[in-house]
Amino acid sequence: MLARVYLAAIFAFVFAPIVASFVFSFNSDRFPTVPLGSFTFHWYETAFSKPGVWEAFRTSLLVSASAATLSTLIGFCTAYTDFRFGFRFKPAYLALALLPPTIPLVIMGLAMLAWLSNVGLSGTVTAVVISHTVLGAPFAMAVIRLRLSQMDPALEAAAWNLGASEWGAMRQVILPFCRPSVIAAFCLTAAVSFDEFAVAWFVSGLNKTVPVVILEILQGNVDPQINAIGTVVFLTSMALVVMAQVLVMRRTRGEAG
Amino acid sequence: MALRRLIYPMTWRLPIVVWQAAFFVVPLGFMVVMSFWAVRNYRMQPDFILDNWAKMLGRGYFWDAYWLTVIRAAAASAIASLVAFPASYALAYKVSPAARRWAIFFLIIPFFTSYLVRTYAWQVILAEQGVINAGLGFIGIGPFTMLNSGFGAMVGYLTLTLPLVVILQTFSLASVDRNLIEAAWNLGCSRFRAIFLVIIPSAKVGLILGAVFCFILSFGDFVSPYYLGGSKPPTLSILIIDTTKSGQQWPRAAVVAVTMIATLLAVAFAAVGAAYRKPKP
Amino acid sequence: MTTISGRRLTRRTILGGAAATGALLATPRLNRAWAADPVQINMLAWYGHGEPDIVEEFEAQNNVKFNAKYYAGGDNMLGLIAQSPAGTYDIILSDAEFVQQLNAAGYIEEMDAADYPFDDFFPEFQKFPGHWDGDHLWSVMVRYGHLGVSFNTEVVTHKEAMTYGVYWADKLKGKVGHFDWHLPNLGSLSLYNGNNKPSPFDIDAAAWTKLQETTLSLKPQVGGYFDYGGTFAGLKNGEMLAMCGIGDWITGVLQKDGAPVDSVVPEEGGIQWTESYSVGKGTQKHDLVVKFIQYMLSGPGQVRSAQMAAYPGMLPTRTGWKALQEANPDEAKRQGMVDGADNNPLKLIREGRIHWRDIPRQQSLEEWNDFWSEYKNA
Repeated sequence: MLARVYLAAIFAFVFAPIVASFVFSFNSDRFPTVPLGSFTFHWYETAFSKPGVWEAFRTSLLVSASAATLSTLIGFCTAYTDFRFGFRFKPAYLALALLPPTIPLVIMGLAMLAWLSNVGLSGTVTAVVISHTVLGAPFAMAVIRLRLSQMDPALEAAAWNLGASEWGAMRQVILPFCRPSVIAAFCLTAAVSFDEFAVAWFVSGLNKTVPVVILEILQGNVDPQINAIGTVVFLTSMALVVMAQVLVMRRTRGEAG
Repeated sequence: MALRRLIYPMTWRLPIVVWQAAFFVVPLGFMVVMSFWAVRNYRMQPDFILDNWAKMLGRGYFWDAYWLTVIRAAAASAIASLVAFPASYALAYKVSPAARRWAIFFLIIPFFTSYLVRTYAWQVILAEQGVINAGLGFIGIGPFTMLNSGFGAMVGYLTLTLPLVVILQTFSLASVDRNLIEAAWNLGCSRFRAIFLVIIPSAKVGLILGAVFCFILSFGDFVSPYYLGGSKPPTLSILIIDTTKSGQQWPRAAVVAVTMIATLLAVAFAAVGAAYRKPKP
Repeated sequence: MTTISGRRLTRRTILGGAAATGALLATPRLNRAWAADPVQINMLAWYGHGEPDIVEEFEAQNNVKFNAKYYAGGDNMLGLIAQSPAGTYDIILSDAEFVQQLNAAGYIEEMDAADYPFDDFFPEFQKFPGHWDGDHLWSVMVRYGHLGVSFNTEVVTHKEAMTYGVYWADKLKGKVGHFDWHLPNLGSLSLYNGNNKPSPFDIDAAAWTKLQETTLSLKPQVGGYFDYGGTFAGLKNGEMLAMCGIGDWITGVLQKDGAPVDSVVPEEGGIQWTESYSVGKGTQKHDLVVKFIQYMLSGPGQVRSAQMAAYPGMLPTRTGWKALQEANPDEAKRQGMVDGADNNPLKLIREGRIHWRDIPRQQSLEEWNDFWSEYKNA
């Protein structure tokens, strides 16, 4: 009983801001308090009547799809390397692969902007994609590596014995086995990119992503438009996650049947 | 022939090396180099001067901010670990596997909401005329100042890190061998003592990992100390932003950044060392 | 085989989903986009200057689209330009005191004085310092406002607020906020110390030391350091009861929202912020930028400017005053842009109570800025 109360309290803390933001997005008060004001779509109308907000959504989708694709590709290569090969300097290799998430985002932003503006890339969508791939690849690697650790290494060897080339075994054995984790990695890295604001704020210049727009409202004309945009972002990314889940589940069921 | 044999492994090995070298190692290296550059008339110029280092490390306020950030991050990681532990314990041992899966699912949801949006929601909730104080007002207490204080910043840090810490702790607790725990009980160990003698040592890696992630995230976060803590006083990440804003002093911001990375690496290595150290026989 | 086609299906489904979402997002603007691609004008400005309430009419009339990057504070602005390729920004809205720096760094183009209605300007604003270099024009001011004491009217009376000394009042302990930028704050406190001749920003070493002491003595009263949004929220939700370094540009917006706040220019004098447009060096859209600045100085543009949703501002042209008095007499009166008003900006300027915000004249900008960092950490 006590355990459940404690769990409920933890979840209340975690979800308080999420629920509050959702409620405030429909509340007429600019600075909400209790009792609440009246129900309104005003903040949605205001936010989504701005071309800049739509622009930001498009940039964000483009960035997160590109960064997730690259991250997943690179993450898969790295996870497979770790699974399959032993070589000198492997600890250094893995450190390099997994280090980026330990660097604070402000510092990543600073370093990225300094470097990318040196090579003439700052302020472009490419700059954001590059940075988000750096951040995302380790996550993709971790997810796929977790799946690979459930695989019997002998399986790949068995394929070679049956006459498959290394490439063939990759196509016939490894890739199918990893598919759910690849999809999961894609979704996870897309979500990481979709919510990342610090590095994007530094390097995006005029190509603002959604979180950068939110940050600008927070620094500027703070009002519940933040909640309205936030709610839409939340629903979008949850829809993507659920879609991915369903896809993965349908696939696994298909394989079983 | 040998070359051809290399194609397959290198196809998988090289992408991350190339990518992280070009877009992770080089930028960070460049930042270190930049910390020795000069700024004249709002423009950075390649140079090799120690002024930036001398200037930043010679400032009392830099070290105030440094220790404040270290202490806050350490406090956040201690509080998050302690607060999370009973919840993780309950999730690992007291609920059904199905309930645990649901709980983990719900703990993942916050990662798909914008941290900025949640911070803004806290701002409204914690304000002097915000939801909590209005609620307390009905029963005749308050108002309490929660925003623009260390407390506010801590709420932000926990918002950022608590779900992750609970998840990591739950996984590590759930993977502790149940037989080990039951053996301890059978040997007359109280449930409470078993936690300290068996469970915590066995789940050490996950617990330390959770604490370290919490430290790293809080150490580098600028949103909570700024928007919930009123940058009073500023942390290192706020100092970085302030420094870049003021007169193009990027080299000095780089000094702060390099110091932060050094600190984080030291903490991370110490923690990993502690996590994987074999217990004394 | 099934696995391969299955994989393709999966990937295609995801891509398809993404594409569909993208198309859905694009739909509301499709019609306009097909008409003719609008010319994009990149603007660097304080928050709000590129929002629809300012630019929508001009955008519609000229088939252009503004793309704004916002900054907070002149130092921040210079940093953003330095990090972008030359020619990124077509039009730059800067604080007047930073025009010289923009010019020295070669970020802006010379302007043709004949393009702008200087005859229509009140004499005080015709030759704004730093905008002219002999007969060469580098920037045109479009709006301005006064900085003084901003306060919660339920706690502080107008009379109490008539001196910067009110910040030290017992009832404001922990409730004085700072707008997080050194110039307006240190300028105000410099006025409090009596540095008004020639300017609160032109002070010798002794006065500078004194100013630092004065500022540090305010520390126990301070409740936080805020950006624009934080200042706003802090005053509105009662976290802060008085604010240093701001003026009607914040409280004016909050008043519209029904908040009990106000700003005054105290006895020691106030500081004027001034915003000016410059043409970004290397722009390809010179003519449109000139046309936009002309629009902002015309009646309709000035009316929008005075009532800008992000923060209100006062107008430099006679046409603007007249247009505002017709379009929104209440707002004209509230901001003092009518003859005989107590808070008439021209009257205050002529009485010598208003000082242009400036960069420090006898110290470096860096020195002031450094002290500000130190103060925040004290």
